[in-house]
Amino acid sequence: MCAYTKNSHKNSCKRRKIKKLLDLDKQTCPNREQRANGTNVYYGKASDLLEDAKNGNNLCSDRKFQQSGGCVLNFYLANRVTTIRDAVVIFNAPVGCSSGSLGYRELFRKVPTELGRPEEYNSHWMTTNLQQDDVVYGAGQKLKDAILKAEKRYSPKAIFILTSCTTGIIGEDIEGTVYEVQNDINATLVPIHCEGVRSRLVQTGYDAFWHAILKYLVKEPEKKQKDLVNVASMLSYTWQDRLEIKRLLGKIGLRVNFIPEFATVKQFEQLSEAAVTAPICPTYTDYLSRGLKEKFNVPYFLYPSPTGIANTDEWLRNIAKFTGKEKEVEELIKEEHERWVPKMDKIKEEFLNLRVDGKETTVLGSLGQGRLVSQLPYFDELGLAAPAAMSQDFDDLLIDELENLLDTVGDFDIMVNTFQAAEQANITQHLNPDLTLTCPFQGGTWERDNNVTRIHSLRGDADPWSAQSGYAGAVAFGNFLLQAFKNKSYQKTLSEKTEKSYKDWWYEQEDPLYFVEKGK
Amino acid sequence: MSESQKIENNLNLSNKEKYNLDPKIDNFEEESIEAPRYGCALSGVYASVLGLRGGVPILHSGAGCGIGHLFGTLYAGGQAAGGNEGGTSTPCSCLVEEHVILGGEEKLRNLVESTLKIFNGDLFVVISGCVPSLIGDDVDAVIREVKNSDDYLNNEHIDNNPIIHVNAPGFKANSFEGYNLFLNAVIDQLLIPEYENKDNKIRSESENRNISKNNNKSVNIFGIVPYNHVFWKGDLLNIKNLLKNIGIEANIIFSESNGLENLRKIPDADYNIVVSPWNGHEAVKKLENKFDIPYITFSGVPIGAKQTNEFLRIIGDKLAIDSEKVESYISTKEDWNYRLMEYPADAIILVRPHSYFAVAADSTYAGNLTKFLTNELGYLPDIVQITDNPKVEYREAIVNDILENLDSTVKPDIVFEADTYNIRKNLENRPFLFLLSSSLESPTAIKDFGALHISVSFPVLNKSVLVKHYSGYDGGLSLVEDIVSSFVGPL
Repeated sequence: MCAYTKNSHKNSCKRRKIKKLLDLDKQTCPNREQRANGTNVYYGKASDLLEDAKNGNNLCSDRKFQQSGGCVLNFYLANRVTTIRDAVVIFNAPVGCSSGSLGYRELFRKVPTELGRPEEYNSHWMTTNLQQDDVVYGAGQKLKDAILKAEKRYSPKAIFILTSCTTGIIGEDIEGTVYEVQNDINATLVPIHCEGVRSRLVQTGYDAFWHAILKYLVKEPEKKQKDLVNVASMLSYTWQDRLEIKRLLGKIGLRVNFIPEFATVKQFEQLSEAAVTAPICPTYTDYLSRGLKEKFNVPYFLYPSPTGIANTDEWLRNIAKFTGKEKEVEELIKEEHERWVPKMDKIKEEFLNLRVDGKETTVLGSLGQGRLVSQLPYFDELGLAAPAAMSQDFDDLLIDELENLLDTVGDFDIMVNTFQAAEQANITQHLNPDLTLTCPFQGGTWERDNNVTRIHSLRGDADPWSAQSGYAGAVAFGNFLLQAFKNKSYQKTLSEKTEKSYKDWWYEQEDPLYFVEKGK
Repeated sequence: MSESQKIENNLNLSNKEKYNLDPKIDNFEEESIEAPRYGCALSGVYASVLGLRGGVPILHSGAGCGIGHLFGTLYAGGQAAGGNEGGTSTPCSCLVEEHVILGGEEKLRNLVESTLKIFNGDLFVVISGCVPSLIGDDVDAVIREVKNSDDYLNNEHIDNNPIIHVNAPGFKANSFEGYNLFLNAVIDQLLIPEYENKDNKIRSESENRNISKNNNKSVNIFGIVPYNHVFWKGDLLNIKNLLKNIGIEANIIFSESNGLENLRKIPDADYNIVVSPWNGHEAVKKLENKFDIPYITFSGVPIGAKQTNEFLRIIGDKLAIDSEKVESYISTKEDWNYRLMEYPADAIILVRPHSYFAVAADSTYAGNLTKFLTNELGYLPDIVQITDNPKVEYREAIVNDILENLDSTVKPDIVFEADTYNIRKNLENRPFLFLLSSSLESPTAIKDFGALHISVSFPVLNKSVLVKHYSGYDGGLSLVEDIVSSFVGPL
C-alpha cells in the first residue's frame, strides 16, 4: 500500500480516486458517507488519518454526548441558498427550519454600492409552514400553492424547494409536485434534497445543492466564454475576498462568475459556458466541478485555494493554464509579489519578535476540511506553527490535498469533530496554543485564559481589514493575526468572570473523544 | 388610501369582520407564509430554557435545530451569542435515518445521561422536535428510566437535578406559543405537590393566602418571551425595579442567576402579573387552579409614564399597597420624566411634529408602542400590524385595547399579519414617516416607504440588545431618543 512518508513523491502512489460518474438522473446525490467515505470523528496524527482514508478505514460514529453541530439544511444550505437573487426559496418544512434565514434582507446591504453591490436586488423565501394536519394528510397541495404564490408575487427566474426532516419522514413526493406544476409557471423549479436526517455529514448538503443545480438549472452553453472563471463564493469569504479575486483575474483579462451566494439565476445557467471552475474550497465545490466537467466539459482543479502567497500563485497559474494566460499570469505574479511580499516579510518579522525563547508561536485552527488544507500552509508562510488542527469532517475527496499538505508542513495532530464544542474545549485546554482561531458558532473554546479570535469573517463584511484571499488578503489576515496578540482583555476577562460550561472532570481527563462509540 | 376612503371602507364592517376575528374562518396563519417573524414551538421552548439561567436544553431532534436557532432565534433576538448552553453547545441527539427506522430512544438515553455528567446546570429540559414526534419515541419513559437509574442516583458527576420534558415538534405551534408550552411543562412536572413534602418549597393554599396579608408582597411576571421579545432582559429587570419601588418583590424568572429557584418560587407569589395580551395567559390560569394564585393581565409591556403610572396603580390597588406610597413614587418619576421629555421638544416641533407612523410588531409591544407615540408624543397612528400570530380568541381584546386608548382623532388600521410580503404590501401608499418594526425592513425603509426605521420587534439583527428596554419611565424616554435620533441634526 502507499503508506505516507515525508518524502514520498506526490504522484508515486495515486490513491483511490473518486472516479464514479455523477448520476444526474437520480433525484439527489449519494451521501458523503457513501460517495467519499466521510467521517465525523477522528483524533490523531494527520498521517494516520491519511493512511486510514487510503485504506478505507474511516467510518462515521455515534457519540453518546453530542451537540447541535448542524444538519444538511441548517445552517449550511439555508443560509446560502436564500441569498440567491431573482429567486424564491421555499422551505417545505415546519416554520422553524427557515428561521436561520431571517437575515436575508440585511445580509449584503451594508456593502457600499461603490464596492459593486447592486442598488436593486431581490431575494425572497417562504415556508410551507407545515402543521399537524399536513403531517397526517400530506402537504403536496400546500407546496403547490406556495409555488404558485411565489410565482404570482415575484415572477422569479427560479424557485428552489428545500426539503426537511419532516417531509422526508412523511414521504412527500416533491418531484411529483414539481412535475405537476412546472408547466404552469415560468420559474424553473429546483427541488433540493436536504432532509436534516439524511446524513451525519453536513457537506452532503453541498452535494445535494449542486446536484439540483446541475440537474435543473445549468443550461447547455450558448457560447463558450473563454474568459469566464467559475468561483464558488461562500459564507466564510468576505466581500473584499471577492474584490481581490476579481482584481487579480481582471488584471489578466478574465471575469469571475461567483456562485452560489448572492448570484443571479442567470449566473447558474451559464456555469456551462465558463473556461474553468476554480476552487476557494475544494470540498464545497467538488460536486459542481465534477458535474460541469462531465456534463459540459468545463475543466476544473480543486487545489489549491487562493490563501497565502504561494497558494495564490499556484491558483492563478492553474487558472491561466485553462485560459491561455500563462504568460500574462507570470507577469501578474511578479507585479503582485513586488507589491505584497515585502509587506508579508514585515509581518513575518513581527511574528518572529513575538517568539518566546525562540519557540515558534502556535496556532490552533478550527476549520472546515477545505480551509484546513489551504490555511495551514499559510500559517507556515507566516512562520507560525500549527501543531494541531480541528476540522469539521474529513473525506476521501481530500486525500491528495492532505498528502500535499503533509509534504509542505509536516505531520500534525488532527481532530475531526463536526462542530462539537465540548470536544473542542477539551482539546484546546490540553494543547494550550498561543492563539486559537475559532468560528464563534462553535462555542466552547471561549473558556480559556488564552487568546481566541475568529478564523474568518463573513460575506457581508466589506472592510479590507477582514480579507483573507489572494495577496491583499494574505497581508490583511497576517496583520489581523498580529493584532490578536496585542490585547486579549475581552477574552481573558470573560473567561475569568463567567462560569464554565462543563464540569471540571471533563477538562481534566485527556480523551476528547470520551463519549464516542466507535464505528458505525 | 386617504383618510375618508379608509373610513368609508370600514363603515359597514363589524370589528369581527374587519379584523378577521371569527375563530371559525380564521386559519390563514397555517398557510404557507413568507419570512414569518417567529420560529417554531421547539425554538420557543429552546429560547425559554436558554433565558433561564441554569437551564440546560437537551434537543431531541435533528442536528440542525440548535445551530439553526442560534441564527434564527438568538442572533435574531438582538444579536445574542449562544453562551454555554446555546447554539452549537446545545446537547442534541442529532437524529439521522437509522434512528428514524430503529427509534431514537437509546440515543436520547445516552444523551441525557452524558449531559448530566458533563454539564454544569440546575434544570435539564428535554425538548422533543419534529423527528421523535413523527417516529413515536416515548420520551417520558426514557426520562423516567434515567431518573431511576443507578447512575442518576449515585454517579459522582451527577447532581440529581430535575429533568423535565417539553413535547414541541415544530409543526405544533409557533415560538411564542412555545413559551406557553414551556411554562405548562414547568407547572405540571416541576411544581408538583409531592415536592412540598420533600423540602417544603411549595406551600399549601392556606399558607399562600396568609402571606398576602403580611408586608412582603410578591408577584411573578409572565408574558415576556426570552429572545422572541428582543428587549426581554432589560424589560424584565426594569419591571422588577419599578415594582420594588412600591414595595413589591417581583419574580421575573428569566435572566437572573438562580433560574431554577425562581421557578420553584412561582407558587409562593401573591399575584401573577401578565404583561402580554396572550403569552403566559394559559400559565396563570393554570396556576390559579393549582395554587389559587389570582392574576392580573395587561395588554402589554408598559411603555412611558402614562402606561407605567397605570400599571403601578392597578397592581398597587390589587395588592393593597398604600396608595400614598404609589402616588409619591409616581409623582417623583413623572417630574423627572416630563422634564426630560422637554429637551427634544424643539427638535420634535421643528422637524417631525404630529407625524404619521406605522407599527409592525408582536402583540406584546405593538399596542403599547402605538399608544405611547400617540398619547405622549402626539404622533398619528397610520397602521398597526400584529405579527406574532396571537391565538384567535385573544384578538378582539388586542384590537379594542388599541382603538379605545388613543387620544388622536385618527385611528389606525389594525391588521393581523405574519407574512412579510403582505406586511410590506400593507405599508404601501401610506402617509407614515416612521416605521417601527423588525430589522427586516431596516435596510430599505426609506427607499420603499419613505420612512425612518426603528427596530422594535423580532427579528432584530441590526442591534445588540443588552440592557436596552422600552418599558417604564426610562424606557419611554429611550424610545423618544431613538425616534428623535433617527431624524435630528443641526437645527
